[in-house]
Amino acid sequence: MMHVSSSFTRLARLMVIALCGVLMQAAAAFAHASLNTSEPQDGAVVGTAPSVYVLTFSEPVSPLSLKLVRPDGTAIPLERFDLKDRVVVIAAPSDLGHGTHVLSWRVTSADGHPIGGSVVFSIGAASTAPHATEDKIDWAVRAGLLLSKLALYVGLFIGVGGVFSRHWLLFGPRSGCKVVAAALGIGLLGALAAVGFQGLDALGVSVTQIVEPVVWSTAMATSFGGTAIAAFAAFCVAAIALRAKGRSARLSSLAALIASSVALSLSGHASTAEPQWLMRPAVFLHVATISLWVGALAPPGLALRRKDPMALQALGRFSAFIPYVLVVLIVAGFILAFVQVEKPQALLETAYGQVLMVKMALLVGLFLLALANRWCLTEPVMAGDRASAKRLVRSIAAETLIVVLIFGAVSCWRFTPPSRALLALAAQPASVHIHTDKAVALVEVLPGRVGEVDVSINLATGEVEPLAAKEVTLVLSKPDSGIEPFKRAAARRGDADWRIERVNIPLAGTWQVRADVLINDFEKVTLSDQIIIGP
Amino acid sequence: MLSKLITTAAFIAIGTTAAFAHSTLETTEAHVGASYKAVIRVPHGCDGKPTIALRVQIPEGMIAAKPMPKPGWTLEKVKGAYEKSYDYFGTPMKEGVKEVVWKGGSLADDEYEEFVFRAFLTEGLPVGKTLYVPLVQECPDGATERWIEVPAEGKSGDDLEYPAPGIKLLEKKSGH
Repeated sequence: MMHVSSSFTRLARLMVIALCGVLMQAAAAFAHASLNTSEPQDGAVVGTAPSVYVLTFSEPVSPLSLKLVRPDGTAIPLERFDLKDRVVVIAAPSDLGHGTHVLSWRVTSADGHPIGGSVVFSIGAASTAPHATEDKIDWAVRAGLLLSKLALYVGLFIGVGGVFSRHWLLFGPRSGCKVVAAALGIGLLGALAAVGFQGLDALGVSVTQIVEPVVWSTAMATSFGGTAIAAFAAFCVAAIALRAKGRSARLSSLAALIASSVALSLSGHASTAEPQWLMRPAVFLHVATISLWVGALAPPGLALRRKDPMALQALGRFSAFIPYVLVVLIVAGFILAFVQVEKPQALLETAYGQVLMVKMALLVGLFLLALANRWCLTEPVMAGDRASAKRLVRSIAAETLIVVLIFGAVSCWRFTPPSRALLALAAQPASVHIHTDKAVALVEVLPGRVGEVDVSINLATGEVEPLAAKEVTLVLSKPDSGIEPFKRAAARRGDADWRIERVNIPLAGTWQVRADVLINDFEKVTLSDQIIIGP
Repeated sequence: MLSKLITTAAFIAIGTTAAFAHSTLETTEAHVGASYKAVIRVPHGCDGKPTIALRVQIPEGMIAAKPMPKPGWTLEKVKGAYEKSYDYFGTPMKEGVKEVVWKGGSLADDEYEEFVFRAFLTEGLPVGKTLYVPLVQECPDGATERWIEVPAEGKSGDDLEYPAPGIKLLEKKSGH
């Protein structure tokens, strides 16, 4: 009996050892579960925030980490969930806003080997790139842009406009010559500086980088490049015309006026808005008439102060043509404002509208002053009343000051809505070349920023011949933000070109990118690298 | 004696009862210069869909493959030339089955099945290395599970999502 018992114990001990062996073997051989379906589906856009998330796996799993990454990059741990065999039902946070969210999961299945993945879904609509105004503002660059724009306007209107009025209104006296020349000089420097600051702003770099050639080439590649070239031409022609005399001087001053008006209709929000057939001519006429008016303030005013007899003739001509100029100026201005503002409430609600309101207030002051000059002062001055002439000179000086303030207000428009030129720059792709012995892939994300993007993948063999593949899958993950990999199948676009449209990239930063390239049924090449996605 | 018996029984138990998440080979070690019976274990379909075909690529160096027919499935043997001529018990072999396909059946996602073929592991195969046998499960609507990933040199296959099953090659048995 005793003997039997001892051999029974031995048997039991051996069985325990064997069982351990079984379990260890089993642990080594058991492998990963995979996600069969999810609710919401990967890539879905849902109308309202779901109350629960459901993950269905290929076998029973145990969650290790479940979190929801919000559009701003913050992660909420999801701690309340129910396990029902292969299904994990997760209670969703209730206070979610619109935009793209990532349900990032990490689970372990029977083998104890953790696996992870992500379900990307959007509430309402996909996240878009945040507006430029939400970025950190570089005040030095901003001030530089503002001042250089102001200088450019002074040069174009007081300078080029002044040259025009000297030849078409004054015929000869040298009055205002120095002021106009100074305005042209300021304008030229302003145009040059504006190019540099435009480049700094476009690249988002600090003032210290202004010596870099890339800053200048970037600026010239934006629509402002055309404006700078036309303004430069206007200044040069105006400078030559300033001291010249006769018919050729009058024609070249007209050419400078046209060039300056073209300059400002080549860039800016108003010029690039739709409908183009209306907006560009409207900007041109608006700018040309402003030049006619503003340019006709300083030279005759200064001539009047010097008691130049030609000043009175000039005043007479000015009074005769200015009503027509103002009609064109105001009509063109209303068209521009109407198209740009769209809704009356935008006047108060948007920064663009607020700047317009300031400009309008200044304009009302300017018009009142002009009307007072016209109705109360012009006739006595023409009649030779010196006291009225002095008051008119002071009034013209005040008008010029208001005009400069208006230029300042208009320069602020540069910062109001995101300019289209900058959006075009932001639309540059993010790309990465991934090399392995078997294959080379060029992965391009367009635009290279957060939101809905298109991804193109071009494949080549190690010998740089086009590589024909059977299937291509893109896998994206962002471990530093806790986003586990998510996959998107690519569609064939050419022999070696593959494309995935409307992929939602929820966060900016460095992403792990992997292209799984199925060469044939039994051979797969995996290419991985990193790609930087802009904000 | 008793312990050996229990251990053996334990090994049999793993082989027959455990449901694995990956499609794998039952025998993961084999001697070169000998026949090998491959038992492919299919634990599930493609993301919930049933398996309607199983394709196996016979790797270079594995010759004279003979699949075992399975009721309810149509067998297809894709033949082709080997990269070189192999000695098969004194007979030079230049061509043979390079792919085996079982199709026309339907194996539900919640069912388990085994597919068998026999082949010869030629003597030239590198002893100590692993010979990979890539498998593809085909499901309706073009869905697939491709067990074809091969770990990079010196890396473990544990991190791969869809590892190809492998056979660790052992030295040729002496004597026989």
